Amino acid sequence: MGDSGGEFESGKNQDDLIMQRQREIEKEINESIMLVGDKESLSTLEAEYLSDEIYKLKVKDLATKYKNIRRTRPDGNCFFRAFAYAYFESLLDHKEDYNSFYNIAVESKKKLISLGFPQFTLEDFHDTFMEVLAIAGKEEPNAHDELHAAFNNQGYSNYVVVYLRLLASGQLQQDADFYQHFIEGDRTITEFCHQEVEPMFRESDHIHIIALSTALNVGVRVRYLDRGESTEAIAHDFPEGTQPTIHLLYRPSHYDILYPI
Amino acid sequence: MSTPARRRLMRDFKRLQEDPPTGVSGAPTDNNIMIWNAVIFGPHDTPFEDGTFKLTIEFTEEYPNKPPTVRFVSKMFHPNVYADGGICLDILQNRWSPTYDVSAILTSIQSLLSDPNPNSPANSMAAQLYKENRREYEKRVRACVEQSFVD
Repeated sequence: MGDSGGEFESGKNQDDLIMQRQREIEKEINESIMLVGDKESLSTLEAEYLSDEIYKLKVKDLATKYKNIRRTRPDGNCFFRAFAYAYFESLLDHKEDYNSFYNIAVESKKKLISLGFPQFTLEDFHDTFMEVLAIAGKEEPNAHDELHAAFNNQGYSNYVVVYLRLLASGQLQQDADFYQHFIEGDRTITEFCHQEVEPMFRESDHIHIIALSTALNVGVRVRYLDRGESTEAIAHDFPEGTQPTIHLLYRPSHYDILYPI
Repeated sequence: MSTPARRRLMRDFKRLQEDPPTGVSGAPTDNNIMIWNAVIFGPHDTPFEDGTFKLTIEFTEEYPNKPPTVRFVSKMFHPNVYADGGICLDILQNRWSPTYDVSAILTSIQSLLSDPNPNSPANSMAAQLYKENRREYEKRVRACVEQSFVD
């Protein structure tokens, strides 16, 4: 190519330039932060906010309720990855929940296919999701290490995220009439799913959390660490009124995992 | 070495052979499964009819979590194709879903030939002619179609 003549005035490919810059930033983050980190004491969080009075008070309050934090890579997938890790980790110690969830996960593929997701590509993600889930059902003492390794292996970890994104999308589309009220602008639910839910690396909002926790019937408590007026990190439970199985910490545009005392 | 991206591309290739969509074809290059050559035949009842347009598709190890880079190698005159052959199509950028495979990518580009989006132009001349002087637009497109026989 290259023979552009005079007729391709707008030939500068801006999309390519923007994407290149994005890739550079991502590379920097990827090299410095694990997909899912090790369990840390909550005091590491306190150390981050020594000079910030609002945050300091809230972290102090958090420390009375939670003993550990596990950080995730801020790549836009953090909610989904934190959700999967925290839940699979809890299944390691709850075999009954594991068995019932395993069945929900098996059935979920049929549901997504019936909603119109392409079977050929869906199967690939579902197979990997089930493979990682199966680790959570193992009795061996090193099952946790194996789970941790899988979540830090891009191939496995991202496929798990993709599958959860599809489940959230499926839930939104199935109950489109209800969720439509929460969408800003004049997008349809399907458009919203194509733009904000299914693409990887797109950040999650309340609606993603409600959809996923409802689809899988897993209670999530999110603690909000922000500049809001309260002196504690306010809790929100999803779906509303359920007993939380997993706890996440939200800081503007990022989710990490919390472990209650 | 097999990686998730390479495994998935093998599956994509198998599916493209077993269940080929009308009017598109694609295959990995001889010694690199991460780079594909593809052909899209101009859709019927459009000025692109009878053209055989060649493209390259370059995947990274992040496929299918990230879209591949798709470019026309054949000279194109289309509102959403850049001078370097790059394509301005939402599913290849911000609307990419990991559930799309090569088959879905090629058929989406094929429908872009039938239905250009002049409001998001990559080639402003083509967009303007498409909106204001359809006859001249079609003439330019036909020139690309004829060029595509020679390439």
